[in-house]
Amino acid sequence: MADYNTLINQFHDIASNPAKQLRHYLDSGKKVAGVSPVYTPEEIVHSMGIVPMGIWGADVELSESKRYFPAFICSIMQSIIELGIKGTYSGLSFVMMPSLCDSMQVAAENWKWAVPSIPVIYADWPHNRSQAGHDYIVATHRRQIEKISEITGAEYSDAKLSDSIAVYKEHAEVMRAFSQKAGLCGMKAADRQAVFKSAWFMLKEEHTALVKELMETMNPSDENRINVLTTGILADQPDLLKAMDELGFNIVWDDVAHESRQYYVEYKGENPLDILANKFCGMKHCSLIYDYDKTRIGLVIDEAKLYGAKAIIYIQTKFCDPEEFDYVFLKREAEKAGLPIVMIEVDRQMTNYDQAKTALQTLKEML
Amino acid sequence: MAEEQVVKKKRVIDPNSAAYKLGQITNRNYTEAWEAKNRGEKIGWCSSNFPQELHRTLGVAVVYPENQAVAIAVRGAGERVCDEAEALGYSNDICAYARISNAYALNPNAPECDMPLPDFLLCCNNICKCMVKWYENVARELNIPIIMIDIPYNHYYDPTPEQIAYVGQQFRDAIRQLEELTGKKWHEKKFEEICRNTNATSKAMLRVADCLQYVPSPMAGFDLFNHMGVLITALGAPDSAPAFNQLADEMEQFVKEHKSTFRGEREDYRIMYEGIACWPHLKFTAKSLIAKNINVAATIYAVATVHIYDNFDDMIKSYFYIPGAMNLEQSRDRRIKLCKQNKVEGLLVHTNRSCKNWSGIMPEMSRQIGEACNIPVVAFDGDQADPRNFSEAQYETRVQGLMETMQARKEAK
Repeated sequence: MADYNTLINQFHDIASNPAKQLRHYLDSGKKVAGVSPVYTPEEIVHSMGIVPMGIWGADVELSESKRYFPAFICSIMQSIIELGIKGTYSGLSFVMMPSLCDSMQVAAENWKWAVPSIPVIYADWPHNRSQAGHDYIVATHRRQIEKISEITGAEYSDAKLSDSIAVYKEHAEVMRAFSQKAGLCGMKAADRQAVFKSAWFMLKEEHTALVKELMETMNPSDENRINVLTTGILADQPDLLKAMDELGFNIVWDDVAHESRQYYVEYKGENPLDILANKFCGMKHCSLIYDYDKTRIGLVIDEAKLYGAKAIIYIQTKFCDPEEFDYVFLKREAEKAGLPIVMIEVDRQMTNYDQAKTALQTLKEML
Repeated sequence: MAEEQVVKKKRVIDPNSAAYKLGQITNRNYTEAWEAKNRGEKIGWCSSNFPQELHRTLGVAVVYPENQAVAIAVRGAGERVCDEAEALGYSNDICAYARISNAYALNPNAPECDMPLPDFLLCCNNICKCMVKWYENVARELNIPIIMIDIPYNHYYDPTPEQIAYVGQQFRDAIRQLEELTGKKWHEKKFEEICRNTNATSKAMLRVADCLQYVPSPMAGFDLFNHMGVLITALGAPDSAPAFNQLADEMEQFVKEHKSTFRGEREDYRIMYEGIACWPHLKFTAKSLIAKNINVAATIYAVATVHIYDNFDDMIKSYFYIPGAMNLEQSRDRRIKLCKQNKVEGLLVHTNRSCKNWSGIMPEMSRQIGEACNIPVVAFDGDQADPRNFSEAQYETRVQGLMETMQARKEAK
């Protein structure tokens, strides 16, 4: 059995080389599709024999995408278009793009004109998760299946979707267990993130197997580090993670959309399309989906207490207004609960993390 | 030396004019809401493109936070109220309407435009998804319910059958929820009357907007912004259609008499203004155009809230054809048609910092409109309510550039 270092290096290698992964799957004769943030129904893509790969943009200078966006649009979505124009996603059969927020909507619209060589399939989600919302999800999934077949010739069956749901169900369970164990074992933030990030570039059954192997090599740590909970959309900033490690922070749980937030809800039901609809309708903890009760606020506080976090690090993606709206209440409730909270603003073009480091240093001193 | 008193002569509006009547209709929205509140009725805050047929049929009074934010911004208090929101923790990257509204919910004190606090919220996200979070936050602060109508973004040019089914069920759910909240009862005959009024007002408004097709135009296109309030607050009211029809009659008479409400020396250039008005700098942006004899001869915004339909399903569909819910191609084609009809010579685009949804497709859409209509396009940075996101110098330079290009093209003809 491989040791921890060998395995974690493998995760880092995959997380930092999506192009290599894409080539690997294409060379093995598979079709690959890009799935953009958030909650894109990967299970459907997977069940049709196509590899879903996450497209969350990258830390790149935006130049070509400026023809399509004003500066104040979320840089994750802008960088997706930037990479699309520059050919980074060449080889994808299609991309699937949801429209839960304004930046996602306009990115999906601009994709058609900016990257005409790769067709876009819309991953419509309803904000109202009533029976009407449930029925809408099932109908839109049927539309997506039809479109995937039209583009790739792949065939759909309920049985195959049920199999894929089983794969994704196990993956979600393993990732939840991993997140807990990573906190108990004092795993470095950068290593932890590589495990989550690599999941976007691998078939989930392969990722599950590798994470299980890694977990066997992880042992509880008695190192005296500062337990924190991270929350936000994306925490894919190596310099920020490095600073967290250097300052001795230990992520005991995360509520990051790119990481654990996607794994919260269980798969329930009989018919596979209903199961997917039930899953989305059960999501009440995300800034990007209408949630009258603002469940996310209480959930983050509860998680922080449950896992023994001493503080919350709010990783705010610049120009992500759904997160900016939630921050007002999370800050208020965290302070009420006696949990210090620090907001670190990040974007896909950031090169200088001095301000973020200072904020983290101040947080450490406060604790 | 005695201080010289400058008394500014206030423009007196003829009480028989359409402009006066339309102004009265807009103003009465607040009065009616205060009266309902004082009677002990529950009143709502409502997003601008929530299906007004529903609450109007039930006789439920609502006010519109977007209108309030405009009034606060136009009267010079946008920055003050945005500052209040920022002190509460709201990022200044958030839509300024939403900031103003959330600040007002906690400190309901704005002499520029006070309005009653709500007992419930009517939210429809067809103009933007930001609306969802804005209303979520107000609801949490005030501990009041939301009736949410989610209209999916129409990526498919026209709404799909499943989209119509999903939204139709939400309309029916909203009626039931409103009945339960207010104790008022739905009457089909009243609903039919409201639908008739809505269609009549919409057609009358289009008659007004069509007057901009005349060369020179009998009206300044910026005037249309003044009537947005009626379209939002009183589309289904019985006196809105007569007032708009009177305005159309007045404009047609102006055509015969070679008159115009445009205050430039003459109409040298005709442009389309794209986007929401830059309300905090409305005077400056309008005056700059007037000084250059540029008239706004088209704006999609002014006809964005008209609803013409024959039946329930058509009514639902009409709520998908809102600027914030239409895809790039549908948005583009409507504007191209308008530019061609109204003989537009240039496109002036407001890149509105508050509006990610509208501004996010603007560069590509305006590029395609410019090519299809063979007109120059320029954009300026601004905001619908936060005055800090606008530069007079940049605006002047851009408008000057647009004018020079239009002039060169005229000379080349």
